[in-house]
Amino acid sequence: MSMAVTPKTTSTSSRVLRYIGFVAMPLIVIVWSLIDLSLGRELVEWIPYLASGFSMNILITICAVTLGTTAGVTLGLMQLAPFWFVRLPAQIYVQIFRNAPALVLIFATTYIFPFEIVLFGNYLPFPDWVKAVIGLAILSSAYIAEITRGAVLSIPTTQWEATKGLGFSRLQALRYVILPQCVRRSLPPWMNVASSMAMGTSLASLVGVHELMHAATDASTAVRRLDFTIIAYVVVMAAFFTLCYPIARLTRRLEQRFNAG
Amino acid sequence: MQDMNLTGLFIDLMGRLGLNYEFLATGYEAQIWRDGFITTLYLVAVTIPVSLIVGLIFAACLTSGRLWLSAPVRGFVELTRNTPTLVQLMFSFLVLNTVVSNMLGGAQNNPLSPFFWVVAVVGLHVAALHAEAIRGGIEAVPSSMIEAARGMGFSQFEILRYVQIPLAFRASLPAIVNGLISLVKSTTVGNAIAVSEITYASIMVWTQRDNVVELMIVLLAFFSLINFVVARVGSWVERRLAIPGYGL
Repeated sequence: MSMAVTPKTTSTSSRVLRYIGFVAMPLIVIVWSLIDLSLGRELVEWIPYLASGFSMNILITICAVTLGTTAGVTLGLMQLAPFWFVRLPAQIYVQIFRNAPALVLIFATTYIFPFEIVLFGNYLPFPDWVKAVIGLAILSSAYIAEITRGAVLSIPTTQWEATKGLGFSRLQALRYVILPQCVRRSLPPWMNVASSMAMGTSLASLVGVHELMHAATDASTAVRRLDFTIIAYVVVMAAFFTLCYPIARLTRRLEQRFNAG
Repeated sequence: MQDMNLTGLFIDLMGRLGLNYEFLATGYEAQIWRDGFITTLYLVAVTIPVSLIVGLIFAACLTSGRLWLSAPVRGFVELTRNTPTLVQLMFSFLVLNTVVSNMLGGAQNNPLSPFFWVVAVVGLHVAALHAEAIRGGIEAVPSSMIEAARGMGFSQFEILRYVQIPLAFRASLPAIVNGLISLVKSTTVGNAIAVSEITYASIMVWTQRDNVVELMIVLLAFFSLINFVVARVGSWVERRLAIPGYGL
């Protein structure tokens, strides 16, 4: 009897803790800057600069995940194609880039691509943040290809046979029967990829993209106070945490719901 | 002498393919690059046991049922899983390292190297992933088995040590191997604080030689190889530990 009660009480207390999780980090920043007002004033001055950095993180994330999803779904379906000359390139691509560290890919795209492109005689700038987007998109496309492949394979083969019996072509079966079910199944792992891409954007600071990490480093070198350095990095952590923690919570909830039903 | 000829042959062959590996023939840059490989392997070899041991301790705390043990660990796990490793590393290196230096009276007395901070941050980050995996495994152990162990007079710790962890470890092994693969990839963040692992060494070489593509090919192959070995060892352990009939 006591066995049945113990997990329940821990789960209610941990539920309370999880809700604290949403606000804990920003709360630390606010309380600390209220206690030490000179620090708070300094921080308020730098917040717009830090926010401009964080908007870059969000921009890179959205672009990289959109690009990566489009490419990844295509590659994942290519891996399942009946012809080897379609299947093989996709498999090689996924195997190479799934194992690559995000940082290596960001370095690769930053240093290999030129800083401007010539298009019909016009010089178009090719900014570093776009290169970071491509680097992260390559990585996420490899992950998403695997997720897509796994999701399609998880659909029972009897469904394929049923569509064949109903006179669907392979592509029609994919479009109308298999993929709609896959979307639901691959949503939680896709959200994991999206959140790890959001965290990966901080790596772009190492190739000189003006994002949150970079902004925090700028701010702390400009102010030169140890307590400001600490609070600047706490703000960075708080920003990423308040972005990624809700995604992680939602992912877990979707997983549970999927496992239950 | 034989070795030199092989290097020369390799450079010549690659040169014909349009790939510039000439730096291998020079002493200094080739030395930096070789050391980079060794540093990365060393980093991986040190961080893996750290992450496994700490992960096990975290998992034990999470499932202990005592709030004062599980709540701080839960908080740490959520924090480390939902913030970038790079930010944690910079925070540790710029803030915690400075605090330690100040306490010891100057940076010259501080025994903690950048290498230490990479091992600590990446190790703890991956330990959090392991902890979640092992916790899932521990919770999946059938309660009838725990009741049987309790009936045989096992203490809470003994149940954990002899019943839950051996079964949970087997169940969570695939997830642990995934964690280790992400550990291998995460060690590259060390280059942010000038740990001379392979990406750092490669930057040193390609800023001189402008042969990014060539080095990238080797880097990607190198990381694929390490991860292949980790995955292979993982599936070998999985087969060795498999309990016939238990379905794990």
